[in-house]
Amino acid sequence: MKRISLVLAILVLLSLSLVAGAQDPVTLTVLVEQGGVWLQEAAAAQFEEETGHTVEFVNVPYGSVFDRLSAEMATGGSAFDVATIDVVWMSHFAPFAEPLDDLFTDEVVGDLFASLVADAQIDGTFIGMPTWANTEIIFYRKDLWEDADEMAAFEAEYGYPLAPPATWDEFTDMAQFFTRDNDGDGEIDMYGTDVKGGVADFEWMIAVLQAGSPGVVLDADNNIIIDNDAHVAGLEYYISHHCDMDVAPPNVNEIDWGVAENLFYQSQTAMFRFWGHAYRLTRGDSPIADLVGAAPMIAGPGGVGAIPGPWFNIVPKTSQNKDAALQLVQYLYDHNAMGIEAPLGLAARKSAYAQYADVEGFENLNPLLATLDSPQTIGRPAVGDWQQIADEILGPIGSDALTCEHDVAELLAWGRAELEAMGYE
Amino acid sequence: MRSPFASRALLMLLVALIVLVYGFPYAFLVSTSLKSPQAALAIPPTLLPQQLSIENYANIGEHPTVQRSFGNSIIIALLSTVITIALAVPAAYAVARYATWAGKAFLFVVLITRLIPPVAVGIPLFVIMRALGLIDTHLGVALAHSTISVPLGIWLLASFMESIPRELEEAARVDGCSRFGALLRIIIPVASGGIAVTAIFVFLASWNEFLFSLLLSSTGVKTAPIAIAEFKTQYSIQWGTMTSLAVLFSLPVIIFSLLMQKRIIAGLTVGAVKG
Repeated sequence: MKRISLVLAILVLLSLSLVAGAQDPVTLTVLVEQGGVWLQEAAAAQFEEETGHTVEFVNVPYGSVFDRLSAEMATGGSAFDVATIDVVWMSHFAPFAEPLDDLFTDEVVGDLFASLVADAQIDGTFIGMPTWANTEIIFYRKDLWEDADEMAAFEAEYGYPLAPPATWDEFTDMAQFFTRDNDGDGEIDMYGTDVKGGVADFEWMIAVLQAGSPGVVLDADNNIIIDNDAHVAGLEYYISHHCDMDVAPPNVNEIDWGVAENLFYQSQTAMFRFWGHAYRLTRGDSPIADLVGAAPMIAGPGGVGAIPGPWFNIVPKTSQNKDAALQLVQYLYDHNAMGIEAPLGLAARKSAYAQYADVEGFENLNPLLATLDSPQTIGRPAVGDWQQIADEILGPIGSDALTCEHDVAELLAWGRAELEAMGYE
Repeated sequence: MRSPFASRALLMLLVALIVLVYGFPYAFLVSTSLKSPQAALAIPPTLLPQQLSIENYANIGEHPTVQRSFGNSIIIALLSTVITIALAVPAAYAVARYATWAGKAFLFVVLITRLIPPVAVGIPLFVIMRALGLIDTHLGVALAHSTISVPLGIWLLASFMESIPRELEEAARVDGCSRFGALLRIIIPVASGGIAVTAIFVFLASWNEFLFSLLLSSTGVKTAPIAIAEFKTQYSIQWGTMTSLAVLFSLPVIIFSLLMQKRIIAGLTVGAVKG
């Protein structure tokens, strides 16, 4: 009896100490850009209600997230308890970020896309919890693809039914088919697709993965693979729509993501490859507002492939409210699906996407799921100088290739030499 | 020999050309702000709106943060102007009146500080302001802006002060004024045109500044340039909203400059001719 009383007394004391140790409400400051506010504010508001903590979003322009956090890192202090950062900044901020290994249980890892699990780690340590993942998929005009006359004409010309393109060859066929001079004035009124030379440092990498490369530029061990066969095939395919076929607007260097999006929504292109979130942001006053269809990214010889654009929540080591910050990161993961109702309509968990995939108005989610879940959807190498590689090597290679005057293999050989000069092997 | 009329016509043509070159981007900004959000994205863009729309301006009401940021910009710019003038006037006076070797060296050092890119001092400033507890305060950002403006103010004001005849001050001293009294009662009123010009430049520098405002503010004192830049996200640029905000952002400065036009011209010519 005495022993039972003693155990009970210890239990009472323990529970009292737990209550006494419960966190006082704190204000958690979260550094984000606009997308981070949209996608996380609903879950954060619920977190506030449930925990008594306050979440304050510090919203800065996209590039300023990096500048602001870099300044904090350089001073060894931080006003932020959580920062929502782009995947390309992960290795830069890794020394500044609290390890999150405890949050990555088997269940968590199993519900995240493989590329996100890979991107969340730097040198084997989890430092960021994915909060949303975007990637490029196919957008097409349903009024064209579902038109009986167009379907018949396409099948008669190419020998197979018109459906959203699934392969490189189908994409090329359809781009050629829909490139039109509607009024016969010698000017093309609608192009089949676009070639985004304004983001040449990124776009041709996607084709490289579709061609079957185990990664872009560097392999998993950071060895140079920029001149492998898949890089050659991918770059050749990327420029072919401009250099060989004229199925894209000729001013390729002026076409970045924003321009490409406007061209499509102003019905000047029939289909294009673009970030999946755009489906939910279709403007009501666009001439094709109700006519947009979405399909998974096309497959090359290596299968469906894309480069994911995930964002991660990291907890700076200098946070004064680390426990509450970790609690918030966990909560945002647990309630990840709430972001799908936000304007960008994105999440990081497979289950979150699956939950909405068959809901009307979310027709982009199945294509996003299929693309993000493909083995050839692989993140960019987690090296600190990735931005330098993109700016000084990948961009020039893409731009030079789009002049249609260079041998692709020679350009990639130059890329290898530049990487070697940076210390890669 | 060219006739006066021909010379004048040529001059006017040149002036018109310069005005066109400088004015076109702003005119296009205003034009874009008056297009519908969809028309603002048209490819190729149209020079003038095919249908006037104030939708972009009406949408600003949906962004309370932006409205607050305009208030913050005004407070910070005014505060920075007061701090800069308060520091630059006595410094410029001392340099102008005591034409010593040390004064010249001081002016040179001040000039050098203008050559340091703001990004180089951003982090040290951040550390100092954090130590002083001035992060995310109007005073903190205004002080940071003053680090850019004080050297400019000293240089501008020193040349104005040098153009004021010493005899004026000496007469005041003979009448029993102290040196400080002479500065306050004689020099400052006479140099008011130059001070006004300096104040305008300082105000503008603070009004437009981006980097220090970004580093030193969070939610409390976010300035308008940062709030406007937030409409450029990772995936898109909301041209309609950005251009309408940019027009509104530029209006106070334009109105202020027009109102002060005479004063500015007078101030700029004060030091032009030395007797």
